Amino acid sequence: MTAQASLPQGFAALEPFVAYWAAPSLAERDTRRLDSTEAQRLAFYDAAKSIAPPACDYLNAKAFAAYDEADHRLLDLMLGLIHVALAVEIERGEEHIHARGARLMPIVRERRSPRAMAPA
Amino acid sequence: MNDLTNSFQKPFSDELRALGTDPVSAKAYYDEGWFALEREAVFKRTWLNVGHVCELPEPGSFIVRDLEFARASIIIARGKDGEIRAFHNVCTHRGTQLTQAKEGKAATFSCPYHRWPFGMDGKLLSAPDFERFYIADKSTCDLARVSVDTCAGLIFVNLDRNPKQGLKEFLGPMGEMISTLPIGRATTYDEYVYDIDANWKVTFDNFQENYHLRFVHRRTNGAPALDSKPNPFHYPVAYDVFGPHRMDTSPGGGIPEPEAKPLVGLLLGKLGEQVMADGLVGGPHDQDYFIFYPNLYVFGNPTMHFTHLVMPLSAGKSRGVFRFYWIGDDRTAQERMARELALSFAREIHVEDCETIASAQRGIESGAISHVHFQEQEVLCRHLLASVQAQVADYLKEQGQ
Repeated sequence: MTAQASLPQGFAALEPFVAYWAAPSLAERDTRRLDSTEAQRLAFYDAAKSIAPPACDYLNAKAFAAYDEADHRLLDLMLGLIHVALAVEIERGEEHIHARGARLMPIVRERRSPRAMAPA
Repeated sequence: MNDLTNSFQKPFSDELRALGTDPVSAKAYYDEGWFALEREAVFKRTWLNVGHVCELPEPGSFIVRDLEFARASIIIARGKDGEIRAFHNVCTHRGTQLTQAKEGKAATFSCPYHRWPFGMDGKLLSAPDFERFYIADKSTCDLARVSVDTCAGLIFVNLDRNPKQGLKEFLGPMGEMISTLPIGRATTYDEYVYDIDANWKVTFDNFQENYHLRFVHRRTNGAPALDSKPNPFHYPVAYDVFGPHRMDTSPGGGIPEPEAKPLVGLLLGKLGEQVMADGLVGGPHDQDYFIFYPNLYVFGNPTMHFTHLVMPLSAGKSRGVFRFYWIGDDRTAQERMARELALSFAREIHVEDCETIASAQRGIESGAISHVHFQEQEVLCRHLLASVQAQVADYLKEQGQ
């Protein structure tokens, strides 16, 4: 990984969102969503929605075994976008109601991530 | 009646008709005395799902499950011979719990108090200074066995030392039906849980009637979010009962209007493609909801393939456990995203469910109403209560009361 480019080439527009939204586990991605402000969610959603299809194509064209850290990070970011899309498109103005209930329904177990499968 | 109502198949099989149409007593949903009877008559003598064989991948693998209603902790372990066995997590010396782990891999369980070691088959291997005890036969100190068996990969235990029925007989035809589902081949799972201030039946009933869908699921399911013409309210098209178990067939779950939900719509489309590519679609039970007595749902839908267990904690508290089962690790980015979306979208719906359940419990517990009403679409709730009442009556008869 390099500090200058934490995402694969071509996805630089999403760099400002990596620090908060590219969390490495399902439970953490959910928590980031629940802890976020509407402004944070909308900023990420607006920046990512048109980049998501090419990003998914890029990630899908590569085997996990060939992923470098930048690829893993882009995948985590796209997974984070799933949670943001649900907040923005499904819950809309009632995300705070969802968030209150979702905190009472924690994700306690998740299957292993591609990072855990990657050869050492 | 409008067209939608007509599309709903009235659940008037003989068995369901025999349940009657009267209001039912509210007491069974909060009364401490009744709950004490349910613990003894139902939960301590019925097969209960506690996990899946994918949690015991190799000899020595074990899981530990707490059954709060019985104050019991159960070890389920795969022995050296590959057999799955279940034991009380209780040393036969003086009762100390052998392990505080929730899962793991071991060759033996060694009691932390006086180091009595037990094999993964439950046998007492030896004991320090055993000759100073007054025990003629060491095998009498093997761990207390709990009945255990599996169906479709799901592990069930029964706290009754001599269950009246084996698991296969108990599950009946629905056990055979779920054996065809992907869950039988699952190798991994995700899980989310909730504790709720509601009797286990109040919690469970929420998930076995579709009447509430269009009111409670305004954000996720109400038109036009998941508009599924011509059945936007997800009216069931069939009900069936098999002994104490029941089934509900409810088509629905279309793709949202793309203009309203561009990204979620796109992702759901990908999810559908993935499930198709995996060859999981088109089974005979894709739209079936299997409801096993007393407290387990298995959703046949391969897109959101989950189980939901509702465990009683007390007369007014229960715990829900949702598990999404998958075959194999994620192989591609698309598969990883599809699975994360399937689980997250379902959880979106389940969060809504839990917004009203505790409120129903508070109202019932106030004693303000003596009865609750079930309409024809709530007949499965009626069937659960009748099944519980029948088992409690049998128990009382056995006890000579």
